[in-house]
Amino acid sequence: MAVTTTLTWNEERSLQKLLGNVSLRLLYKSSVHGNNIQNMNNKCIGQGPTITMIYLPEYTFGIFILGHYPEMGKNFKEPNNSFFFSFQKNETMKMTTAFLNSTLEITSEDLRFDFAKFQSLYISPRSEKICIPEFLEEELGLTSDLSCRYSECEVFRVEGIKDDAGYISRITEATQHRNSLLEDLRDYKPYADLVSEIRILLLGPVGSGKSSFFNSVKSIFQGRLTRQAIVGSDITSITEQYRIYSIKYGIDGESLPFKLCDSMGLGEKEGVGLCVDDIPHILKGCMPDRYQFSPHKPITPKHPAFITSPSLKDGIHCVAYVFDINSMDSLSFAMRAKLIQVQKEVLNHGVAQVALLTKVKNSNEVLENNFSKMSKSMISQSQIIIASELLGVPISKIFVVENYASEREMDPVKDILILSALKQMLRAADDFLEDLPLE
Amino acid sequence: MAVTTCLTWMQEKVLQNYFGEKQFSLLYKASVHGFSSKGLLERCSNQGPTITVIYAGDYIVGVYAQNNDKEEYVFITLFVFQETEISECKIGPFQLPMVFQDNFEFYVNLERKRMYISPETKEKLGLSGYISFQECEVFRCEDLLDKRRMEGVIELKEKLLSAIRTYKPYGDLVHQTRILLLGPIGAGKSSFLNSVKSIFRGHVTNQALVGSYTCGTSDKYRTYFINDGKNADTLPFILCDSLGLSETEEGLCMGDIPYILKGHIADRYKFDCTKPITPGHDNYIGSPLLKDRIHCVAFVFDANSVEHLSKEMVSKIKRIQRELIKCGVVHVVLLTHVDTLDMIMKGDLMDIYSCLPVKLKLEAVHRELGFPPSNIFVVRNYTSEWELEPVMDVLILSALRHMLWAADDFLEDLPFEETDRCVW
Repeated sequence: MAVTTTLTWNEERSLQKLLGNVSLRLLYKSSVHGNNIQNMNNKCIGQGPTITMIYLPEYTFGIFILGHYPEMGKNFKEPNNSFFFSFQKNETMKMTTAFLNSTLEITSEDLRFDFAKFQSLYISPRSEKICIPEFLEEELGLTSDLSCRYSECEVFRVEGIKDDAGYISRITEATQHRNSLLEDLRDYKPYADLVSEIRILLLGPVGSGKSSFFNSVKSIFQGRLTRQAIVGSDITSITEQYRIYSIKYGIDGESLPFKLCDSMGLGEKEGVGLCVDDIPHILKGCMPDRYQFSPHKPITPKHPAFITSPSLKDGIHCVAYVFDINSMDSLSFAMRAKLIQVQKEVLNHGVAQVALLTKVKNSNEVLENNFSKMSKSMISQSQIIIASELLGVPISKIFVVENYASEREMDPVKDILILSALKQMLRAADDFLEDLPLE
Repeated sequence: MAVTTCLTWMQEKVLQNYFGEKQFSLLYKASVHGFSSKGLLERCSNQGPTITVIYAGDYIVGVYAQNNDKEEYVFITLFVFQETEISECKIGPFQLPMVFQDNFEFYVNLERKRMYISPETKEKLGLSGYISFQECEVFRCEDLLDKRRMEGVIELKEKLLSAIRTYKPYGDLVHQTRILLLGPIGAGKSSFLNSVKSIFRGHVTNQALVGSYTCGTSDKYRTYFINDGKNADTLPFILCDSLGLSETEEGLCMGDIPYILKGHIADRYKFDCTKPITPGHDNYIGSPLLKDRIHCVAFVFDANSVEHLSKEMVSKIKRIQRELIKCGVVHVVLLTHVDTLDMIMKGDLMDIYSCLPVKLKLEAVHRELGFPPSNIFVVRNYTSEWELEPVMDVLILSALRHMLWAADDFLEDLPFEETDRCVW
């Protein structure tokens, strides 16, 4: 007699995705192992992080517990990291979540979660009942029906969890924070409406991830992986044209109030990669979209598409130097010399400057738990310090991201890194606009 | 302490495949739950079929029990697993608790970390003496492709079919997306085409000729419209098949590729390996519209041979890539024959990108040919089957949907003046 879960495959996959690509392993099933606390406890203690699923007529209710199941009679005195979620049994299969601190106790009759303000959640296996406090029902959007009788109770071990105290709040808050950033960027307006949109120029060596960054930004706003800027891993620059990319909010949404400008990669040698003399023309806004770069000579005013009288909105408002974070320790003298030349041009134009370090390996460790700034361990890394010194950019203007190049699914933490970088670039551009002399 | 198995991915996979495409759920681990039969039986009884894995130096002794209701007498399979070799014999019948108490044929003494096997059984398994062990784990064995998962796969297939049927190209710039299949001879381009057609028809079909002749069987340019079997409507994409690539002068002429991409070549043009089409040819389209152009290219490679392409072939592929970039055409990669990779079974297709051999293969393709891993998709084409398999369909339809999205990216990126032609 096989023991299988009542959870549907779609529900299982939703949970796996929410929890960060974990595996669920069924440990206890009430209809097989008996509706009593003793059998439940026997099968579940000492198994690491668990999810307890309660199957009710209108929805499925779940409780994730990061620590071990407590033994009967003992309880967690300290607030336990746990969160609560539900799946609606309808077409949309909507999932709602709530992250709460609670203490957990198992008595001879009940599994009990105690919250602040003397509120409790009870699961009583013998009577097959669950009692969910009113505030939690409201938070999860459940129909009010105190002491519901459930048809099944299952407990799963969750494999693949990082043993990290901040892990639970991070995964539940990440999606919320990501969505908040999306809205901020959609609603952003340039300083004093001096221009209708901000132009951000991506400059950096071949293969540093400039075009991938644009693809990643677009993917986040589209909700699926996109490939508009073609990327590869040739030793010469894949990007040979100047591109001014506009991005829409959603598939049929309006254009966002910023454009990402992609250029040919910087080469170490003269005559390879972006011509440094092209940079002033780009910064002023004289370079037309799709201009075919030549490594040997810059654009001239005689070019048929040259923009002879660019307005403020045609120009670049922020320059982002893009580097592979793993290359910072071994940047060649030739590239450093090239950067000095480039930066000289940028400084001459007074444009805002930031640095974007790509290909970070551990997205989860870049930001503090509340996502408000880079973590101390990240700031102290040699790559950040080198970037700051070499590029003349303060650490607060250095952003670390992991572009979407290997992944097949969107990840809210990666999204947060990318969107936060973008938000800070727009702020830097605002500073530039504010600092312009009155004309 | 984390409750995770000591088995490597490969060891777990060998065992799972050996016992019939299973999935394992760890229920008991001695070093966490205590080296006691009580601790084991509390967690593992009444859990359906189980497998007990005992780590003894450089080999594993295992017990497979089809039923582990405490009251039942059952025959068990005792096996020894070393490197990738498994030897086994059946013993019993026992009640489950007997395996962890003294009996005359086989038992495991958890408290002392030793096990006893009778001389006859030991001889069959090639073992000797008392055996001490370091760890014991017990797993529930579940069918990888059980009814629940199959229902989920079928549901996913229906969603994908619906998404593709109702798909509209970006901005309605064209009515149908054109996808060009390019790849070495024998990679599976025509098989992929047949597989897509089969899925929408509802049973396996073989319109595009498939063979393994060295010169390739597709010597004509073909543009295949796919009919939706249920409604006899035409689907919003066209798959274009061309002559295969070859290291030598046979195969697709490099000079033909820009003409294909820009839409100058008409259906059924017979390729000449030695020279490209010319404007004077009957099948040459002088003023192609956007709808005649290629909107997405899919490179098709056999997953087994993609790492062994010759230098000439790799060089040719990179030249083509540069041509695609010049024309702005977005491209993806299809790896076929994924089921023939080491250890891959049908049930693995459900979560194929999590399988270690597939991950290694994608990394290899990225390293050798430069394609980003997120642009590489694996499929299993229909070659010998007569009926459809939902797990195969999901892989094919997912890849197809990504191609349509890639084509949208191409259309979105077109200069405005190149879209005007559609207004006529």
